[in-house]
Amino acid sequence: MGYITEGIIKAFELLITFDPETYSAIEATLKVSSYSMAASLAIGIPLGFCLGFYEFPGKRSVRTIVDTLLALPTVLIGLLVYALLTQKGPLGKYGLLFTLKGVAIGQAILALPIVIALTATAVESLDRNLRITLLSLGVNRFQLLLTCLWEARFGILTAAVAAYGRVLTEVGISLMVGGNIKWHTRTITTAIALETSKGQFAMGIALGLVLLTIALLVNLSLSFLRKRC
Amino acid sequence: MLSPIFEVKNLVHSYGAQIALKVDHLTVEKGEIIALVGPNGAGKSTLLKILGLVEKPTSGEIFFKGKPARPFSQVSRKISLLPQQPFLLKRNVFDNVAYGLKIRKIRDKQILREKVYKALELVGLSPEEFARRPWYALSGGETQRVALACRLALEPEVLLLDEPTASVDVYSAQLIKRAVLKAHNLWNTTVLIASHDYAWLDEVPHKTWHIFKGHIFTDEINFIWGPWQIVDGKAIKQFRDGQKLVFNAPYKNIDNPVAIIESAKINITFSPKKVGLKMIIKQVNSEINFRELKIVVSLEDISLNFKIDEDLVKKYELWPGNPVYIELPGQVDWI
Repeated sequence: MGYITEGIIKAFELLITFDPETYSAIEATLKVSSYSMAASLAIGIPLGFCLGFYEFPGKRSVRTIVDTLLALPTVLIGLLVYALLTQKGPLGKYGLLFTLKGVAIGQAILALPIVIALTATAVESLDRNLRITLLSLGVNRFQLLLTCLWEARFGILTAAVAAYGRVLTEVGISLMVGGNIKWHTRTITTAIALETSKGQFAMGIALGLVLLTIALLVNLSLSFLRKRC
Repeated sequence: MLSPIFEVKNLVHSYGAQIALKVDHLTVEKGEIIALVGPNGAGKSTLLKILGLVEKPTSGEIFFKGKPARPFSQVSRKISLLPQQPFLLKRNVFDNVAYGLKIRKIRDKQILREKVYKALELVGLSPEEFARRPWYALSGGETQRVALACRLALEPEVLLLDEPTASVDVYSAQLIKRAVLKAHNLWNTTVLIASHDYAWLDEVPHKTWHIFKGHIFTDEINFIWGPWQIVDGKAIKQFRDGQKLVFNAPYKNIDNPVAIIESAKINITFSPKKVGLKMIIKQVNSEINFRELKIVVSLEDISLNFKIDEDLVKKYELWPGNPVYIELPGQVDWI
């Protein structure tokens, strides 16, 4: 039990003393999660909207595939992205292996099914009277799509929060594609894994608490944003 | 000559194999108030959705002032439908009412405010009290009135109302009725109302259309429901008091046939007739035409209505509660 108390004290110490190693991991974590979230939201929201809004042949099959991908293991994504980015791989020439951009590609793949599936669910659960109401007020096709997207905003925000939670806490992709290189690609989760393997439990707990603090701050800002909408 | 505001030609609308609405030809003139009457599932909402250009018919054409009208076309902005279940966008009352104006590129804050406040006042909601209220902080009646204000703010040429007073209290219903009439008087708005509020429908509309099994009857008609026994080409309905109604049977096989009788073919007599019933006068209502009164007579599960000269009502003391002999035509239509 001493580890926990020690860890909490250590967490404060690391943050207050601006421990460079900790802040480097925080920076790497924030950078990589921002890249991956930007990409997954930019691609996932339009795809999820289309999946939820339109009726097309094979829609149920696409939905089943997306739902299955929600259970994609991070180590499998790590393996596939590693295979793609390694020097012998098809994208090897871009030199993305063991870089934050490489990790972001893997994390975007991880977040994409979550964003697509939850956005589609949010759009599907819009009241069927919304369409009738909008048409009866005289919208054109573009205004109809835009307003439906805006009406589903709370569901889409939930999709973003869920995806961010998964991206922030994953370790498989960061470890395999990023390589856990100190000052460079070491994120908070890979640092925790390393500290634990070294037997430095207090340090691991401290970093875990820092990670939770980041998650809390992100969720608080989203909650504020939700109130403003 | 001006084209009618709506003209419908050869319209068929089906949900799967089920035909929900079939109209060969129908016109609505500018400024008319038309009541749509019929049981649930008769096709009233389908007709309103199609005329409101929110649903495309399976086949057939709709013309608005002589020009073809389709969903998303420019004319759809002149027609507004208030659906059966009111729905508000997830924003406050002001933004809900302003939505239709904003998509019409009205951006001037002062004009927006004036139009929104005027619409809220029309439906009896105080703008100061309600404008900033979120969509979830309204009662059912207030939600329905805000939904109506969203339409009135647009000053539509045609207002289509699908059971606007069905799920609201008497007070809200009264305010809704008043707002609809005000809109009609202010902008000569053409109004089509589907409603079961017969007291209102007796009072307001210029015309009443009956809708039944997807067919529209623009004349004053009455339905006589079964069960009908079909014997030797005759359809017989037996009443508990021993009376019988016998018509020529439908010429083709119809599930649960219903007889249709035009009000104009119903007569009051003072002795039993070959095709007729002894019925009780239930209501005597005044009509827009002052010289005529509307009589409603009933027997068990059927009631018939028709118009009669005011002098005859007085002369023969046709007051509610009195029995009368009703003569009916032997040949009726079946649906």
